[in-house]
Amino acid sequence: MTSTENLLKTLPNDIGGLSAERVERVEHQLKPWEKRCHALADVLDFHKIINTEEKRRGVEALGSELISKLTYYERWIAAFANILFQKQILTPEDLAQKMDEVATRDGALSQRASET
Amino acid sequence: MHPHEHEHADQSQSGESPGYYEIMETAVRELLIERRLIDAGEIRRQIEVLDSRTPALGAKVVARAWVDPAFRGRLLADGRAACEELGISFYDDTRLIVLENTDAVHNLIVCTLCSCYPRPVLGLPPDWYKLKPYRARAVREPRAVLAEFGTVIPDNIEIRVSDSTAQVRYLVLPKRPEDTEALDETQLAALVTRDAMIGVVPVTL
Repeated sequence: MTSTENLLKTLPNDIGGLSAERVERVEHQLKPWEKRCHALADVLDFHKIINTEEKRRGVEALGSELISKLTYYERWIAAFANILFQKQILTPEDLAQKMDEVATRDGALSQRASET
Repeated sequence: MHPHEHEHADQSQSGESPGYYEIMETAVRELLIERRLIDAGEIRRQIEVLDSRTPALGAKVVARAWVDPAFRGRLLADGRAACEELGISFYDDTRLIVLENTDAVHNLIVCTLCSCYPRPVLGLPPDWYKLKPYRARAVREPRAVLAEFGTVIPDNIEIRVSDSTAQVRYLVLPKRPEDTEALDETQLAALVTRDAMIGVVPVTL
């Protein structure tokens, strides 16, 4: 099999059967935003806005470079944003504007908290 | 209470400005709430649901199956219905298949494509379950993977690896350890670990 043939047949998520490192028994306590992101995923699924399989495909569509560089929940929220754009529920402009607003508001808030 | 009050408290405890993806999460959530596609209360309630799901629920199911053969039969026939019998609700749209370990078969669960896991009965999966080494190798060299967990399965015991999907989730019903006849159901449940219900370790006294 040629190298491109192999790449074509296996998408970034499709790693079953590949060789890999030794399993390290790592655990991770979810950060508050990661838990909110998980709850958001479940609520989006309940409302059939984004179901589990769409979420998985959305992560796949990020491509192997982003998949390898982002953490688990970073991949999820990036995929949700892209899927919501594709479904025309949000536009990239909506999100950019809201992110600016949140960054200013929450950044200022944590700044105040660290000063006190 | 303002819906985001305690979330801000979380951020101020760390004293750090939220990162790019955290800001993205907040922005997506708030936009969807503003457009009334989801409700802030639903997110809060789902966080409570997630916090309420721990391997203790799965352990209760396993212990009941060990002491009650009729329940064990129902559990193996329809995992979800039997869990619901014990008051464990399924908040997602998934089917649960319970795989019984015997003297002839050892079961192992994995999700090679992502991180599908029986969350209603075990809570969220450990990180190693979501990372490449386990996902890639469990289906190809399960005995070697198990050995890395300190579990050596004799060659005469078949290993079955079940690959989870968005719709179908698995739970391993481990073997009851020897010399536990004197233990009651609660004591038995206390022996059952998350990793035993994934199938990477046995239940031991």
